[in-house]
Amino acid sequence: MHVPKLLFEATLNPFPDTFRERNRRHMERRDMLKALGAAGALALVPGEAAAAWARVARGLRPIVGLTEAQLALVSAVADTIIPRTDTPGAVDVNVGAFVDIIVSENYGEAERTSFTAGLDAIDADAKANGGVGVVGLALSARGAVIERIEAASDRRTEPQRTYWRLKGLVVHGYFTSERVMKEVLKVQVIPGEYSGDAPHQPKSAPSGQGARSHA
Amino acid sequence: MREITDFDAIVIGSGISGGWAAKELTERGLKTLVLEAGGPVDPQTDYVEHVQPWQMPFRGMGDRKKIVADYPIQRECYACDEVGHKFFVKDKENPYTTPDDAPFRFFRGRQVGGRSITWGRQVYRWSDLDFEANAKDGHGNDWPIRYQDLAPWYSHVERFIGICGAKEGLSQLPDGEFLPAMPMTVVEQDARPKILKAFSGERVMTIGRAAILTKNHNGRLACHYCGPCERGCITHSYFTSLGSTLPAAQASGRLTLRPHSVVAEVLYDPTTTRARGVRVVDSNTMQDIEFTARVVFLCASTIESVRLLLNSRSSAFPEGLANSSGLLGRYVMDHHYGSGASGAVRGFTDRRTTGRRPNGIYIARFRNVKSQHPDFLRGYGMQGGSGRGGWGRGGSMPGYGPAFKQSLIEDLGPWSLSASGWGETLPHADNRITLDPTVKDKWGVPAAHIDVRWRDNEKAMDKDMQTAMAEMLDAAGCSDIRQHGSNNPPGHCIHEMGGARMSKTRETGVLNGNNQAWDVMNLFVTDGACMASCACQNPSITYMAITARAAKYAVDAMKRNEL
Repeated sequence: MHVPKLLFEATLNPFPDTFRERNRRHMERRDMLKALGAAGALALVPGEAAAAWARVARGLRPIVGLTEAQLALVSAVADTIIPRTDTPGAVDVNVGAFVDIIVSENYGEAERTSFTAGLDAIDADAKANGGVGVVGLALSARGAVIERIEAASDRRTEPQRTYWRLKGLVVHGYFTSERVMKEVLKVQVIPGEYSGDAPHQPKSAPSGQGARSHA
Repeated sequence: MREITDFDAIVIGSGISGGWAAKELTERGLKTLVLEAGGPVDPQTDYVEHVQPWQMPFRGMGDRKKIVADYPIQRECYACDEVGHKFFVKDKENPYTTPDDAPFRFFRGRQVGGRSITWGRQVYRWSDLDFEANAKDGHGNDWPIRYQDLAPWYSHVERFIGICGAKEGLSQLPDGEFLPAMPMTVVEQDARPKILKAFSGERVMTIGRAAILTKNHNGRLACHYCGPCERGCITHSYFTSLGSTLPAAQASGRLTLRPHSVVAEVLYDPTTTRARGVRVVDSNTMQDIEFTARVVFLCASTIESVRLLLNSRSSAFPEGLANSSGLLGRYVMDHHYGSGASGAVRGFTDRRTTGRRPNGIYIARFRNVKSQHPDFLRGYGMQGGSGRGGWGRGGSMPGYGPAFKQSLIEDLGPWSLSASGWGETLPHADNRITLDPTVKDKWGVPAAHIDVRWRDNEKAMDKDMQTAMAEMLDAAGCSDIRQHGSNNPPGHCIHEMGGARMSKTRETGVLNGNNQAWDVMNLFVTDGACMASCACQNPSITYMAITARAAKYAVDAMKRNEL
């Protein structure tokens, strides 16, 4: 019989020294937090998604993702919902590629078919009302398409169903992108403290398209 | 070199209960072997709490193909996410069965640290309202212990692990040895006195009591409020056995921890009428190994411990070890939870939270404390919190363009306040674990067959959780109050308890008042399986206190040569 290697020392690697020594070593909390920040990025590589992202990075598309036309539609809608201002827009952080990855690698086949059919329904709705698909429309006309779809109270029939799913993905993809989390939201990974009653002063919102969203 | 196979004590399981057994037994002088079915965890490389969404290929939405394939059941637990699923078992390797009409969710983590890595960290003492409940209303059997038996052990545990909370002086929710409380949000601070006033002081909303450090404690650092505790904590700021009790046991010099050790049965010696040791399947080699000891502590988690005893058959115990009562596997409980209400809070738009508080608010049990509710027995506590939507509200919010974007970045959205109930389930003989006659796990151990159902008392309580919470939100001045009912099946709360209950007599249970098997004196079960009722409080702190108490009893009995 062999002694298994995985006994205690290997298991409790966080304490290469003994517990008692660890207790004596009073690390400055500040230093600890600094060290944590540096070690924050850990490699996470689920195979298929990593391969899909690698294809996107090389300018290639996920194997079963959106068609070129669907991707253009997604990007046009995303750009209308979250345009570039003094901060990046949806297109600047490649929200289209994120939607493509989710549809390709995360959705099941039935979901994917239903989603892509829904994208076609959004485009058909635009064509029925203005003669051209979303991609061919000027920005203000794209806004009119969105307003018309959002005005419908039933969010479960097409094209509303897919539109709201898409909007959810666009918002999620935008705000979880590295650039937006770091530069716009300035997310602190390790805040170090908590307050349940901190001051907050929103900047005044600019007037213009979509201002009704404050209702 | 041959592996040592004889010890003073064997502890089965390295989680919340097993870690405490290891600490107490080693510190009291026993050479102790801790057997863990899963593999080792290295916090430096395995913990993932600081991984940001943009570092995840699916931005936190999960690698669904993989998760559906490997974790079809586990994925229903909120903590089994894109980065946290590593702390859950693969369902195919760990099957269990249920009747078709009685779904049960069995969420498991097999690794050093067990489910203490992913647990919810809420810690509430029980009171005599709980320990006396079975005797008073006749459901289940009378507990052999009362609050005064456990109170010093609660203190012992709390002082070591560090828990934060606010003292409230409530008889039904005794105060503990608290580190400073985490702050309430401005909205919670506003709601508390309004709810107190509206309900004559009977409904007390307090800050959650949590096994999270609000200041440095016992060599561990205070919380840095990064948020997702369930993914691990590199500073060990919340309690895990891996970061707290196991290192203490290691420091004694008397601990041997053996991962990849699936215990298949407890071995019984009919000549001594004691447990001789255990048979382990080494999950790396798939070979059987026997380990022997003078005393065995079973801390494998409720269902696993019951399953293991049921699978430990001999001519003396053909229906499972320590089962002369025939009650092994019966009276299984879980908390029914999730029904409640939410509301919108007007105002406070110039206030926000900073940092991510890994804790919420708690409303102490108020039903059937002073007077009897007409519709149900026992009671529930409520857990919830308040916050602003932030950008997350954008996916369902109308609007587009610069103003929409600006609003999501700057406005944070309105405050909301919500809470849901965690309810006591009555002990019922037919809520039962047996062994599946054919299905086995990857290591050849028969799977558990779990038949646990909610019954009328639970359903009536679920309704009251919704209306009572809606009333409280109304009293707090909320608008747009919405009630929500829960469809969570048993097991979903991961507070499974019972199956090897403690009792005053050997005919009415499996364990005596010291968690010692009535039939096998050197066998102790100190995890959730020992519970004779389930109260409404999150149970882990009670397992810890019961385990520490039983360990002292066992060592003292050994010194008296009784074991």
